[in-house]
Amino acid sequence: MLTRTHLAGWCFALMALVAPSAGFAQAAPGSAQQQAERAATQPGNNAPVWREVRSGQANYTTAQGREAGVLVQSSGDTWRQIRNGPITVYGGWLVVLVALAIAAFYLVRGPIKTHDRPTGNLIYRFSVVERWAHWTLAISFCLLAVTGLTILFGKHVLLPVIGYTLFAWLTLLGKNVHNFVGPIFMASIVVFFLIFVKDNWPSKGDLTWIASAGGLFTGKHVPSGRFNAGEKSWFWMGVVFLGIVSSVSGLVLLFPNFEQLRLTMQQAHVVHSVSGILFMTLSLGHIYVGTIGIEGSYQAMRTGYVDESWAKEHHELWYEDAKKQGANRPAAGGGAVPAGAAQARRDE
Amino acid sequence: MARMKFLCDAERCIECNGCVTACKNENEVPWGVNRRRVVTINDGVIGAEKSMSVACMHCSDAPCMAVCPVDCFYRTEDGVVLHDKDLCIGCGYCFYACPFGAPQFPQAGAFGMRGKMDKCTFCAGGPEADRSESEFKKYGRNRLAEGKLPACAEMCSTKALLGGDGDVIADIYRERVTRRGKGAEVWGWGTAYGPGKPGAQPPAAGGKS
Amino acid sequence: MRPRRMVVALLAAAAAVFGLAACGESEQVVVYTQGKYQGKPDTKPWDNAPLAYGGNDWTKGDKASWEKQINTRNLGQNEYRRIYNQ
Repeated sequence: MLTRTHLAGWCFALMALVAPSAGFAQAAPGSAQQQAERAATQPGNNAPVWREVRSGQANYTTAQGREAGVLVQSSGDTWRQIRNGPITVYGGWLVVLVALAIAAFYLVRGPIKTHDRPTGNLIYRFSVVERWAHWTLAISFCLLAVTGLTILFGKHVLLPVIGYTLFAWLTLLGKNVHNFVGPIFMASIVVFFLIFVKDNWPSKGDLTWIASAGGLFTGKHVPSGRFNAGEKSWFWMGVVFLGIVSSVSGLVLLFPNFEQLRLTMQQAHVVHSVSGILFMTLSLGHIYVGTIGIEGSYQAMRTGYVDESWAKEHHELWYEDAKKQGANRPAAGGGAVPAGAAQARRDE
Repeated sequence: MARMKFLCDAERCIECNGCVTACKNENEVPWGVNRRRVVTINDGVIGAEKSMSVACMHCSDAPCMAVCPVDCFYRTEDGVVLHDKDLCIGCGYCFYACPFGAPQFPQAGAFGMRGKMDKCTFCAGGPEADRSESEFKKYGRNRLAEGKLPACAEMCSTKALLGGDGDVIADIYRERVTRRGKGAEVWGWGTAYGPGKPGAQPPAAGGKS
Repeated sequence: MRPRRMVVALLAAAAAVFGLAACGESEQVVVYTQGKYQGKPDTKPWDNAPLAYGGNDWTKGDKASWEKQINTRNLGQNEYRRIYNQ
């Protein structure tokens, strides 16, 4: 096993990929002159020419096309080392291990239920627009995640199982889905940000919440506003930061017709896959608490309503506000509201 | 056993682009696709100008094969790197990874969307029935199955571009260099075929690099 | 006892991940089974009948004779031999 050498190689490779980002290294001025002199003193010794070739500088060619004049580009192999090495291996295991950790947590802790019995009083938590924005983002994210995972790991996971023909067909479909859903995802990030940013500004209780991890392990109650610090960090680090990073790097790869160089696309690919993997890893946590992890949270985004006791136990400060503004409705009253949405799940 | 390789002698290449034309004609490649191209270094500088014809070098440790998400590449027993266009999804990763800029993409859709990758096949066709119409349409002529060598090399007027079994080509070049008196170090096979370390050997047992 | 076990578990996990560090690449070897190279169907060049024209000379399916044919073509690229020896 060459792990150590590999690791050192990757570090070097990463530096090599980042270093020449300013563009092509310009051949030393006078390399042509050097060659002319060399040819006089040592005929047949073309070392200056080969140095120029290895510099990756574009030379003359009649062939049309981007970088057609570049005889040898070295960064491709660097990119290959990074992609097939750390990104595939560590990235893949990161996703698997986080998923396993969450599964283990679920087995040990089980779903978090409200301590008090549901009162049956429902409080309006998410408007229709908010829910549409969330689910557009969520569904497009899931499509991008699944297709992205197939492109990076499918060769090692899916291909040996389903064979070349089916896998290639699925991946081609996946690539097109990825390409066309990408812009929808980007647009929905913008909409989502505009809608939810006002409730995601950091507030007083956030540090306390983070210090005790929201009482996830202790079960201790930590009051929070409409969104707790966990949701806020998911909003800022996930949706906003990783969303923008993935979108920008994705655009570089999506439209190769803006004369961007191979180096640019290699760098964009590294950024895109790393941010994508981190995004997926974080999303696992969000999906967990939003579905089976905490009872009632899925219904909140599905129907827009939460039970009074759920609100009190998970978002106490928001609950107080909502109560003051009279946002709660009686359970039996609302036509569009499923009766007792927070406790009965027959509609799912 | 033959291990197919290309060699371009920079001392002889006169940048006539005959190989490019021969390739285009022989394989009837679509517009915008150049399986082979000639690059001139120090263009116009007297005594320093060198030209090189370059295409897919059919590497022993092929980067395109290593990064392909659908694993559409394969290597034949002669060391030729081929790909299956029915599997190719047009992601462009082989184009990022290849040192020589060999993979080409005919633009298939709007916004620079890539079609199926096309590259030099060493005139060995692809995974269709040999010398069939469908093979010709997708991959070009299968000259190896006709008992011939790549058109570019066989018609090179100065014999700068040599293609065929690596051993034979090396012999031809060695003889040439001996007659020339110098220059064993002037060509760069090492980039494609690497130093002869065990991992980089061509695939099948008993093969030569 | 618990933290120690956790450290051991973490180290084992780290070792396992490091051990898998080379798994992103697959061996680039020639495997030809059931008429397919690594699952991609292809015929070997010598499994074709030689063309009727062009002075081709090999027997279908005989690799050695095909290689001899290729070798002859190959030597045609050596102009010294072509001019002086033949």
